Amino acid sequence: MNELELIQGLRDGNEAAFKYLVDNYQDRVFNTAIGIVQNAEDAEDVAQEVFIQVYRSIHSFKGESKLSTWLYRIATTRSLDLLRSRKSKKRFGFIQRLFGDGNEPLHELPDFNHPGVAMDRKENAAKLFKAIAQLPENQKMAFTLHKMEDLSYQEVSEVMQTSIAAVESLMHRAKQNLRKMLEKENT
Amino acid sequence: MNNEQNKKLEDILGSLDGTKRAATPDFFYTRLKARMENGYEPAVTTKSWVLRPVYAITVFLLVLLINAAVIFNGRSQSADEASITETETLQSYAAEYRLNDSVTEELYK
Repeated sequence: MNELELIQGLRDGNEAAFKYLVDNYQDRVFNTAIGIVQNAEDAEDVAQEVFIQVYRSIHSFKGESKLSTWLYRIATTRSLDLLRSRKSKKRFGFIQRLFGDGNEPLHELPDFNHPGVAMDRKENAAKLFKAIAQLPENQKMAFTLHKMEDLSYQEVSEVMQTSIAAVESLMHRAKQNLRKMLEKENT
Repeated sequence: MNNEQNKKLEDILGSLDGTKRAATPDFFYTRLKARMENGYEPAVTTKSWVLRPVYAITVFLLVLLINAAVIFNGRSQSADEASITETETLQSYAAEYRLNDSVTEELYK
């Protein structure tokens, strides 16, 4: 099934087309989400929401970009939304607890271990993920798409709807910030 | 920074190179279909935070504050208006009984 047939199948509400889409793109979506939210359960939640959104809004997809680009865009947006919601929950966690609405634990999330990282690099990767979590949103997005999904700067720029030069700049600043954070951590 | 520290830093920064793509948990499609059939609720909704007590109480306090400000402002304005009305009444009384300067001058002629 080529991309045009797949899009047409999705527009027609064809379940086989939807299953084909999920089977072929689920790992890319999940891997992008897990790189940003750094938690497997949340990443699965995000991945489900991405496919539901695609199923519901396929009619608004104009086909100006590749389907994968659109999926990456939704996945990163949803992941960042989840991070923002997590941050605001944490910020108001104490007050919410006073009013009996904060059942979520207030402690920090444990170190994240990405399942695809080689055994001998796990410790270093956990340190790097901790630093990535502190990056500004657009740097985090560019860094994750490039490093975790192996997308080229051209592809990252299409997902982020920006220029290649802007992506280069984001990557440069992300690396600088990570270096600073890790230096501080190791001294 | 010495060489050893620098190497350690480079190792950390390069620790994601060659990372394999994380695979979606088993039966992902089954769970996705179940969620779609059972009515989809996004994890992040605007409704959820608007209804939280923290926001509800903040809005309530804000309304209370605006009310207090309006009442306080109203009182000071009516006090000003009362003093203006009092002056106007005295002036009209003086005018009615011709208690102005010209009348007084005529009386002393």
